[in-house]
Amino acid sequence: MEKLLLRNIGVPGSHTLATYQSRGGYASWRRVVESMKPEQLIEEVKASGLRGRGGAGFPTGMKWSFVPKDNPKPKYLVCNADESEPGTFKDRLLIEQDPHAIIEGTLIAAFAIQSHTAFIYIRGEMVFGTEQLERAAEEAYRAGLIGKNIFGSGYDLELIVHRGAGAYICGEETALLSSLEGGRGWPKVKPPFPATHGLFGCPTVVNNVETLAALAWIIERGAAAYAAMGTEKSKGTKLFSVSGHITKPGVYEVEMGYPFKKFLEEDCGGVANGKKLKGVIPGGGSMPVLKPEEIEKVNLDYESVAAAGSLLGSGGVIVMDESTCMVRAAANIARFYAHESCGQCSPCREGCHWMEKIFQRIEHGEGQKSDLDLILNISGNIMGNTICPFGDAAAMPAAAFIRKYRDEFEAHIADQRCTVRG
Amino acid sequence: MDPVKIILDGKEVVTTKGTTVIKAAADAGVAIPHYCYHPKLSIAGNCRMCLIEIEKMPKLQIACNTQVAEGMSVLTESPKVLAVRKAVLEFLLINHPVDCPICDQAGECQLQNYYMEHNREASRFELGKVHDRKKTIFGPNVIFDGERCIKCTRCVRFCQEITKTDELAVIDRGDHSTIALFDDAVLDNPLAANVVDICPVGALTDRDFRFKVRVWYLDKTPSICPGCSTGCNISVEAYQNKIARFKPRVNEAVNSHWICDEGRYCFHDLAGGERLTMPMIRQEGGLVPTTWELALQAVCTGLGAAQPLAAILSGRNTNEEAFLFAKLIRKIAPDAALEVFYQERELSETQKILMSPDRSPNFRGAREMGVGSNGVGFNALMQKLTAGSYSTAFVVGEDLIGPIGDSEKIHDALEKLSFLVVQDTRMTATAKLAHVVLPAVHFGEKEGTYTNRNGRVQKLNAAVIAPGEALPDSKIFLRLLQTAGEKLAYSTPREIFAALAQEVSAYKGLGYDSLGDQGAELASAGDGAT
Repeated sequence: MEKLLLRNIGVPGSHTLATYQSRGGYASWRRVVESMKPEQLIEEVKASGLRGRGGAGFPTGMKWSFVPKDNPKPKYLVCNADESEPGTFKDRLLIEQDPHAIIEGTLIAAFAIQSHTAFIYIRGEMVFGTEQLERAAEEAYRAGLIGKNIFGSGYDLELIVHRGAGAYICGEETALLSSLEGGRGWPKVKPPFPATHGLFGCPTVVNNVETLAALAWIIERGAAAYAAMGTEKSKGTKLFSVSGHITKPGVYEVEMGYPFKKFLEEDCGGVANGKKLKGVIPGGGSMPVLKPEEIEKVNLDYESVAAAGSLLGSGGVIVMDESTCMVRAAANIARFYAHESCGQCSPCREGCHWMEKIFQRIEHGEGQKSDLDLILNISGNIMGNTICPFGDAAAMPAAAFIRKYRDEFEAHIADQRCTVRG
Repeated sequence: MDPVKIILDGKEVVTTKGTTVIKAAADAGVAIPHYCYHPKLSIAGNCRMCLIEIEKMPKLQIACNTQVAEGMSVLTESPKVLAVRKAVLEFLLINHPVDCPICDQAGECQLQNYYMEHNREASRFELGKVHDRKKTIFGPNVIFDGERCIKCTRCVRFCQEITKTDELAVIDRGDHSTIALFDDAVLDNPLAANVVDICPVGALTDRDFRFKVRVWYLDKTPSICPGCSTGCNISVEAYQNKIARFKPRVNEAVNSHWICDEGRYCFHDLAGGERLTMPMIRQEGGLVPTTWELALQAVCTGLGAAQPLAAILSGRNTNEEAFLFAKLIRKIAPDAALEVFYQERELSETQKILMSPDRSPNFRGAREMGVGSNGVGFNALMQKLTAGSYSTAFVVGEDLIGPIGDSEKIHDALEKLSFLVVQDTRMTATAKLAHVVLPAVHFGEKEGTYTNRNGRVQKLNAAVIAPGEALPDSKIFLRLLQTAGEKLAYSTPREIFAALAQEVSAYKGLGYDSLGDQGAELASAGDGAT
């Protein structure tokens, strides 16, 4: 398969403007500014079937079309580079090695909504990534690709790289906007939605790094070429960050609809050290874990993974072999969500910590029989009842671990110790 | 406003476009439980207590942030809704100390109330609770207990949106989130104590009131704040015949949901101290107790014997009292200088949200009743009094020595008067110089009406009983009028109001009972007297 998103990865000097341009970079940007109308661009991306790669999979072109055209306020385009989902490191690779692809995509998206100020909000821990993006932005500015009167078209666009402070919640788009505004990284209650009341109360679109990185290719080759790849509803290619007990961990680009089992066994070389697979999280830490028998017929696209009872999410694939203690894994994930809950709304603020405390109690051999149903009940009480999807992100894996590995949890409680690791 | 029809728990309700479900339900008499929602603050949507079911929507929605739509079917008592309420209460209580027996909020706590209504189950949480700061002083009037806080952020939003003073903020994260003073701020803005009222739980309590009395023992009387001429609607709450606190009473035409701190605590000054319980008369050796009959006789004789007279009425006297006082002075000394006490101070922008520059809640009403109609203005009267231009004076409800002008000079001038009557609640410095002292009652011991600076006539009600032989000013004026030979057909505040509504043209058509607990506007409302 031809690589779209990883096409520049591994090329010497891939992060520099010279290399990027020598490989056709910014030609799409020039074409957009010189010959396309915003509506035309939106239609093109709609036709490509590109869906948001941050996790929710919302159609990108449609998201752009929600921005009101008659609103006199400034419009903002924000690139969400706050990649923090456990097990996910695909955006980081692009940020560090192909920053111009992200910038070009950001510029194209900004043009689509006729924004004159675009932001790249990058996760606080990504110091090197920030440097790469800032350097790349400066190069692009100097080359006249960003700034005033781009390509003599009269179109102005400023780009600001903003480094966050490292909170997981700031990857949620409204929390990201609160943080970018200088406030606490708290998600906002919706409605109103960012498309009409986003950054500083102005119409705003927030797109993921990987989504934006696909745009230049779509413009270059056309929507039809992109839509020709993938499945009926999941078009194009997708990045997967594969980690855990796997022979070849790393970032992979595969066509949507690629068989999951084949992907793990052939592309990634199978479970490391010849061990057996115990479970795999397909879409980052917040998605329900799947058992080996559940992935038999699963393909890597939004619909197929959802049909199996999990979600494609960010494409953060975490592989766990037979030596993994699922109690400890669940407790570890629960600790992450308890630590990262922003504390704004009651069910998440109180519930995440409560679940974590119970998981830790079981892990430390002090669990009670009733604990498992209690966690299931708490996760059910959080699910769907919070301001932002964080509550679901904490509730879903907790419930899935217990439902799918209940025997192991019960043994851990009965023996008051780990029965897997001995 | 476009009408919108919704189905609320199976019943048709007509509301208007743009209304939120929580408001539409409240208007229809359905109280949806909530903590963070407050009609005067922005929508936070964080407590999740108002989650309700909307037919055809897969997830429950928060009623505070959901706008009505034509035909929308809302369920506020469905099994799903009842289950989530129970769940939210459980979440809010797991780290709460449940220290109701020592919590001042007990009895008016929404955690208690909703728990009794919607949960009533033993806690399933048996792990260590999160600890937070206890008894943390936020400002002169407000104290914080972090462990009782449910992070609804009403207090934070109040300081951001109403006073715009930004003293409070949320700090830390997750279950360690808490409310704190921002930087080195002190919660001492002029409206600060309102955060205690809007705190739905026992996290913010009133330093003045706390630990004085359990709230269920309080007798609550709707009344009007006597602090200034804004006329904020209050509830006077008393225990064992003593005023324990003021609480704001909602009146959108006047004070909305708020009162200022100065008004909130003014009862200490106005109702405190040792009271006069008997009339007193000056004899050799000083003031000695006497009977009402002798005292009133002495007043009539003394005021009639020497002229000119300066008559000063307090700005806290009611319309009914002012009406009678004007009549009395016209009867016994038609040429007397007759004024109502008035004093202004500069106000900051935050003070101006509610406060008026004066401390005379019924200044406008008293003027309209004829006090000051033939006068020279209060300040000019005081200057003339200080200069010795009067030989007698009748001072009602105000201590002239201290608050205004050169107190030494005023003292000397008052001392030189040939006859001074002081009618007040306490033995003030002015009263000490009087020839006759008449024991009166304060704002909380009488009924009547005040007219605020915008021309809204509102009712004052007696919350506590006056001590000893002290009488309401209206009663004293009536008896003085009788002593002076006037025959009057009215005696109660209601009857006096009916009489003044006949005689004072601006008050025509107003009825005492129809004032209700929200008051009524004068036809001439708005053109404020100063």
